[in-house]
Amino acid sequence: MERRDFLKLGVLTGATATLASCEKPAQQLVRFIPEEDFVPGIATWKPSLCTVCPAGCGMMVRILDGEAEVVRNGQRGLIKMGLAKKLEGNPKHPVNRGKLCARGQAGLQITYHPDRVRTPLRRSGQRGSGVFHAIGWDEALSEIVVKLQEVRSRQRTNSIRFVTGWVRGQRRELINKFLEGLGAPRALEFEPLDEPVLRRANLLDFGRPVLPSFDFARSNYVICFGADFLGTWNSPVAQSIGYGEMRRGRPGNRGKFVQVEQRMSQTGANADEWVPCSPGTEGLLALGLAHSVVMEKLRRSEQPAGVHNRDWAEPLTTETYSPTEVEKKTGVRASSIERWAREMADHPPAVALIGGAALAHTNGLFSALAVNLLNRTLGSVGTPGGVFFTPGSPAIKVARSLSQNSDFLSQLLSGGFENAEALFLYKANPVFATPPGLRMGEKLTRTPFIVSFSSFIDETSVFADLILPDHSPLESWLDDVPESGTSEAVFTLARPVMRPLHDTRAMPEVVMDIANRLGGEVREALPWKTFEEMLQASYAQLARSQPCNSTQDFDKLWEQILEQGGWRDGNCQLHLPEASASQFRVPEFSAPTFDGNEQEFPFYFQPYVSGAFLDGSVAHLPWMQELPDALSTAMWGTWLEVNPKTAEKLQVRQGDLIRVRSPHGTLEVPAVINPGIAFDVLAMPMGQGHENFGRYGSLRGANPMRILGLSEVREVGALAWAATRVNLSKVGQKGRLVLAAGALSEQGRDLELR
Amino acid sequence: MSHRWGMAVDLDRCTGCSACVVACQAENNIPTVGEEAARRGRTMHWIRIERYYEGEFPNLRVKFQPVLCQQCDNAPCEPVCPTYASYHTAEGLNGQVYNRCIGTRYCANACPYTVRTFNFFNPVWDKPLDLQLNPDVSIRQVGMMEKCTFCVQRIKATEIQAEAEGRELTEGEPTPACVQSCAPKAITFGDLNDPESEVSRLARSRRGTKLLDELGTQPKITYLQRDSWDDKNS
Repeated sequence: MERRDFLKLGVLTGATATLASCEKPAQQLVRFIPEEDFVPGIATWKPSLCTVCPAGCGMMVRILDGEAEVVRNGQRGLIKMGLAKKLEGNPKHPVNRGKLCARGQAGLQITYHPDRVRTPLRRSGQRGSGVFHAIGWDEALSEIVVKLQEVRSRQRTNSIRFVTGWVRGQRRELINKFLEGLGAPRALEFEPLDEPVLRRANLLDFGRPVLPSFDFARSNYVICFGADFLGTWNSPVAQSIGYGEMRRGRPGNRGKFVQVEQRMSQTGANADEWVPCSPGTEGLLALGLAHSVVMEKLRRSEQPAGVHNRDWAEPLTTETYSPTEVEKKTGVRASSIERWAREMADHPPAVALIGGAALAHTNGLFSALAVNLLNRTLGSVGTPGGVFFTPGSPAIKVARSLSQNSDFLSQLLSGGFENAEALFLYKANPVFATPPGLRMGEKLTRTPFIVSFSSFIDETSVFADLILPDHSPLESWLDDVPESGTSEAVFTLARPVMRPLHDTRAMPEVVMDIANRLGGEVREALPWKTFEEMLQASYAQLARSQPCNSTQDFDKLWEQILEQGGWRDGNCQLHLPEASASQFRVPEFSAPTFDGNEQEFPFYFQPYVSGAFLDGSVAHLPWMQELPDALSTAMWGTWLEVNPKTAEKLQVRQGDLIRVRSPHGTLEVPAVINPGIAFDVLAMPMGQGHENFGRYGSLRGANPMRILGLSEVREVGALAWAATRVNLSKVGQKGRLVLAAGALSEQGRDLELR
Repeated sequence: MSHRWGMAVDLDRCTGCSACVVACQAENNIPTVGEEAARRGRTMHWIRIERYYEGEFPNLRVKFQPVLCQQCDNAPCEPVCPTYASYHTAEGLNGQVYNRCIGTRYCANACPYTVRTFNFFNPVWDKPLDLQLNPDVSIRQVGMMEKCTFCVQRIKATEIQAEAEGRELTEGEPTPACVQSCAPKAITFGDLNDPESEVSRLARSRRGTKLLDELGTQPKITYLQRDSWDDKNS
């Protein structure tokens, strides 16, 4: 063929291909004019903040230009725009100092998830059937306004309820102002991973109902009761940074770490000594340690820092807490208790912490108070290498509900949540994350009008009459006040790092729009035009109240805050109330009680927070589904962990399908033989077993919440999620178990190749 | 002086949190394969956390060990490649030229660390998940072998930047995604040709070991073994 002919042919076929593609509607998309400036191929980094868990880490987002299919003014088309490509930690943020955990980094996939709700939806099928059709924003908002006006005309505004997930800062402020204007009760908060028991203990002991922070980088000895503080608990990134320093950051000085728990967590796997104790006796063990520390200190005539009372040690010296007595109940050897106490006295600063399943027993409050007392005895409250509280600046209202009457779960448990006439749901999935005994689904079926701001159709939003999809966090104005993980007050603030992909609207602006349409007191309660304006007003207030900040020009300061991704208040350093004699009050041990009798249900059932999915809120992300679990290396499913000896007795082998039954339900899952779990304990990760959560997360694994009873933590009213007993039987077939360690060819042949 | 990139992984700092695994996936456009392919051992991760149990309940110790391409000086994967897709770069990396790869999988057979992954199918990103892809890293198609590159695109970017500014690279400037994400600072990356660099210093540690050293592969990753606590060392 001549070169000329070849070129001709090429032109011809090219033209045909173009013509053919014109017939496909996908190729007929209009092309919008870019809305922003960028240099092609050059990455920019923009500050944002992570909203995957309540730790509140700062992020830097890598933005590069790309072509995306978007919706603008109701029309679908193509646009060149800045797209988020990667999430890393913000090096200037005092909580996470440039680091970000696996889940935080995978948060990128929330924005680009193929199953995001892309337009407002109205329910067309039965409640919970999942049949919706798309409607316009105006139509959806008018419908809400009509409903609210109708409720208001009947003077039933006190039955309008707003349930959120963990929401802090100005978003919470805005929701509560909206409700106040309507004459409705304050918003309820539903956060299954919160530690209400620890908050209560800290309120009683330190006058502050907040989660603690730790100075591990300067600790020489860490003893932890049940908290997965390097994996999922509290502020895991901040704690991991401190842990690394404790281990190897000080040449010649490697801190010791002891972990007490019944099932070895990812954190426990890093311990120098890993110790199982009887479930629910963690507090007693802490008191036993406090007793031995006191005896050791008395012998050396030492006093904990900040203690001036001569009789400070008196209540702890009784024989009840002697190592031999404590051994009888906890199952931990007296000699070990004495040795740890000696080591802690020898290697200050030593610090103790408690969390997770240890607080989810019926006597959780006792355990939390006991660990606080142990810290007092060690002299590590508010001292370097110890436990402290992140200060909230008095200047800005840290809008966070901490009181019991705004806790959705305790209201459900006490039967206080009924008869909502209109229900708003934001970032909460209570149908998935509550035990069946609370009948959450039934309650929602009975609720006449439900509006959800969810970006996904999940177990809860599937009940909604209207779904008004929020922007993704990367598309939104964000602000946050981290509760723990730093020694100075910090406010994180970020503007949207990319433009919205779909026909979504930011929740705060939808609420403002509704308020505006309703008029009257509600409109007056929210005088701002945009959420940005509201944020600016709150930061202006903050700037005014900081005498040290001489910057007169607020606009300049505002730009500076946005550029850094927040505001650190170095002047607002941590402080603690003075120690008083009453702080050595010894909490009284009360034995834990369990749901289900011991004969019929011989095993303790311990659900645990999944390293990949947390409580299940990120189970829809493919990166998280395919992330091998740190200990079992399992992916894409749920499993039940059994001790090797127990498994041998019951003739259960790795991967066998087994049936776990509690007084409240049954689950069938494959077994994982785990050498790091007590003989009488069975553990299962939370987060899977979704009925409705996109293509990657639905109908996969099992949800341990489904078989939990409704035991409460005494004096707190929180759900005691580790207080259910179960039994176990074989189904007689293999389950769906996908392990990264060992390929298919090795499975069942007792080999492990990699 | 040319660079010779190496890594040190302190197992006493590593907590097994898997932040590096996701960082690598995001940086290098590593696809997810789904449950069935994962069950067949076909996940594409370039870095994995290995977990070893020592002892029996309750006296149990665990070691987490992140395993990625060891960038061997004497790499078994390189000489077996019939198309020279696996080759040794000037900076000492075990490179992989995707365009040359014809999928014989000889390199994966030869690698004792099982860190090479093979594309049994074309990777799929359900739209609009494709928008997350990093344009600096090419997408590998069916029939191609792929592996850790020490984030060569990030190294190159810093080298180009330093050259444009007419200066030498500074310590810690090139950081692979796994190193960047590591909260307890278990992974250190740097130039092994510079005896003063942090990575060279750690490579000389008394806790330093090489993975499967006896095979003579001369890995450029040093693993610093977990220490144990006794009364004297603190």
